[in-house]
Amino acid sequence: MLALGTAGWATAALLLWQSSVVPSLRLPHLDEHRYFSASLLRATASYGRFSFVDWVLTTLVQLAVLAVYARKGAQFARESAAGRLGTGMLLGMIGFALVWAAQVPFDVADLWWQRRHHLTHLGYFTQIFGNWLALGGQFVFLCVALAIVMGLARKLPRLWWAAAAPVFIGLALLFAFVSPYLLSKHRLHDPQLQAASVRLERIEGVRHVPVVVEDVHDITSLPNAEATGLGPSRRVVLWDTLVRDFTPREVTVVIAHELGHLAHDHIWKDIGWYALFAFPGTLLIARATRRRGGMARPEAVPLSLFVLVALSLLALPAQNAISRHMEAEADWASLEATHDPVGATALFRRFVPTTLSEPNPSSFEYALLENHPTIMQRIAMAKAWRSYAASEAQSP
Amino acid sequence: MHIAHPVKLLVEDDLRRNRLTVFFRLILAIPHFIFIFLWTIAVVFAAIVNWVATLVQGQPPAGLHRFMCAYVRYQAHLSAYLWLVGNPYPGFVGEEGEYPIDVRLPGPTQQPRWTTFFRIFLAIPALLLATALGGTANVRVPSSGKSGTYGSGGGGGALGFAVAVLGWFASLAQGRMPKGLRDAGAYSIGYSAQMLAYLLLVTDRYPNADPTAMLEGVERPPQHPVHLVGDADDLRFSRVTVLFRLPLVIPHVVWLALWTVVALLAAIATWFATLFTGTPPAGLHRFLSRYVRYWLHVNAFLYLAANPFPGFTGELGRYPLDLELPAPAIQNRWKTGFRIFLAIPAAIVNGALSWGLGVAAFLTWFVALATGAAPWGLRNFSAYALRYGSQLFAYVFLITEAYPHASPLEGAPPAQPQFDEPA
Repeated sequence: MLALGTAGWATAALLLWQSSVVPSLRLPHLDEHRYFSASLLRATASYGRFSFVDWVLTTLVQLAVLAVYARKGAQFARESAAGRLGTGMLLGMIGFALVWAAQVPFDVADLWWQRRHHLTHLGYFTQIFGNWLALGGQFVFLCVALAIVMGLARKLPRLWWAAAAPVFIGLALLFAFVSPYLLSKHRLHDPQLQAASVRLERIEGVRHVPVVVEDVHDITSLPNAEATGLGPSRRVVLWDTLVRDFTPREVTVVIAHELGHLAHDHIWKDIGWYALFAFPGTLLIARATRRRGGMARPEAVPLSLFVLVALSLLALPAQNAISRHMEAEADWASLEATHDPVGATALFRRFVPTTLSEPNPSSFEYALLENHPTIMQRIAMAKAWRSYAASEAQSP
Repeated sequence: MHIAHPVKLLVEDDLRRNRLTVFFRLILAIPHFIFIFLWTIAVVFAAIVNWVATLVQGQPPAGLHRFMCAYVRYQAHLSAYLWLVGNPYPGFVGEEGEYPIDVRLPGPTQQPRWTTFFRIFLAIPALLLATALGGTANVRVPSSGKSGTYGSGGGGGALGFAVAVLGWFASLAQGRMPKGLRDAGAYSIGYSAQMLAYLLLVTDRYPNADPTAMLEGVERPPQHPVHLVGDADDLRFSRVTVLFRLPLVIPHVVWLALWTVVALLAAIATWFATLFTGTPPAGLHRFLSRYVRYWLHVNAFLYLAANPFPGFTGELGRYPLDLELPAPAIQNRWKTGFRIFLAIPAAIVNGALSWGLGVAAFLTWFVALATGAAPWGLRNFSAYALRYGSQLFAYVFLITEAYPHASPLEGAPPAQPQFDEPA
């Protein structure tokens, strides 16, 4: 049974890993010093070092808090008059709230660091207390998730995980579909970019996908863009900082990249990967909480939170690798659609001073934090595409 | 046991009101406004002298203490007159025993110097609650030399104002002040007097917001069919759930909002059914009763009137601060037909109490976080405000036709008939 499951999992993973990037493509090794000044590289290294240390400390504190909570958290059950499900929700929320509170100093430190480098205009108060709505949404989702798990665990004490995983996959699908409608955005006004997006949609075979702009300049100067939605809710969202600060040629590359995500069904693939991780993840949580009487009992909730976070951390390198794989495919799609490696190179080069991303981070940071190819890898891909296109043009 | 507060409220009012003096009450009070304005200016300077003297001697000088006592009493008399809590025209000197709503004040005693030194800061929480309750006459004194710049010398708060406005109409119509409103007004006057006495160094005892202790000696109203039950002595609070109280209540707020939509539809259906049949349908009555009880549980948790995380079903007997609700009974069709309009005065009182409830919760949060327990007085005030809110909801949703009772005192259960044992 286990072997069958593993084989099925591996087959599905292999299918999801399929990519349109030319398999034989070898990225050339590039020296970052040829592209960026020494002072800029020093600045990005210094910025990245602090951010990485802050992340490591946040993660360690998070794990420590949840480890203590897994041992002691069950005692909070006496603070509830809400029955089994309600008590489980309370224990889940307390654990979540403790983690949030423990992370606040590190969030503040990170904000201080970003402000120091003029990457954000967000105030400290807003950083801590300004996201109550989002935090509230997370609390509600946590409660719904626990209600589902605890409800199923009561009916199916040993097999709840097999039933819960599809429910969570369904929720992920629902969220992916609905989330574009929750964004506050406006249409792209620039006629040149509008024309480019229509042209790119045609080239990439993605029709009727609105390209919209989200106003974020009040809180950050960072550029960003994303492809979201499923079916009729599909959107390409550009941050106004990107549209404002980058040339139309560079923005066109970004639009092509995001349309590339949609053209290659990356949102669907994302959910597919989520499904592949959800089944073993819920199974491991079910196994780990058995000693506490199983997930039907509220006393198991603190331990389940710890296991969930620990598993997420363990899965992080794999998740980042998957994300990088899809981002590389979107970069390739962008190059295929725009035929503009110069524009792409210019875009990636500008990312370094505007975001202070390290062009070539350490392997450790790369594995744990980078969900996009590094800047040097992206520039190398543009270079490789140029050679590939030239060879394709010469071939009969 | 809870030690009696040295500043004691005395209520000897018979609820009768003279319609003529009620109608012209504000105009009649004009001489008092002028007088209290001047007196307040004098008190500001006297309070500074008294503060220095108390710091030096360890207790207030007898003459200044008498002066402050008279001012506190005068404030109480005038507030009672303005808010229609008392009927006769008050004197101008704050004499003890001259007014049916009076305060008994302690003599000068030794006071710890450090609490004397920080008195103005220590009094801020009590001042916040007193402002919400509003038992003192609203006097404004110039706080700077510039014309038009004023500082408030007393709280014209929500509860006192609501009592005054509603009491004005009721007294004009009936020639009597409703007991619930009178008690609520007396309570706010008593709390404000305790606050003022603390601020002016008449006593070093902190004001006690407990309505039962404040109105000790006042006759309890009959028990309302919608009343609180539960463990009144359980003040223990978990610091962690206090710290995260707002995020923890979010799922309940979402659930309550959804339930409210359905409850409103059920209330409309109940309204029609009760208009035709005279009695609310049992199923809808049960559903709405659960809703009102759940509303109480959630708000008791949110406003720190109770400790545990509540359930999501509004079940009776599951929460330490619980609500007893009546069974469906025949209701007057006239009262049913105009229920929403009849509820407006109670909604005004409820709005005023909600303000105080918010302040009480804010203060309780800090205390409970520091000590792991809720202050007895604030908790009981919160329970009073929540009880009134529940009675209002029960009235609006046709669970009962008994009008919400504004008295801060718990209703007395009906006396059991006494039977002599046969020999």
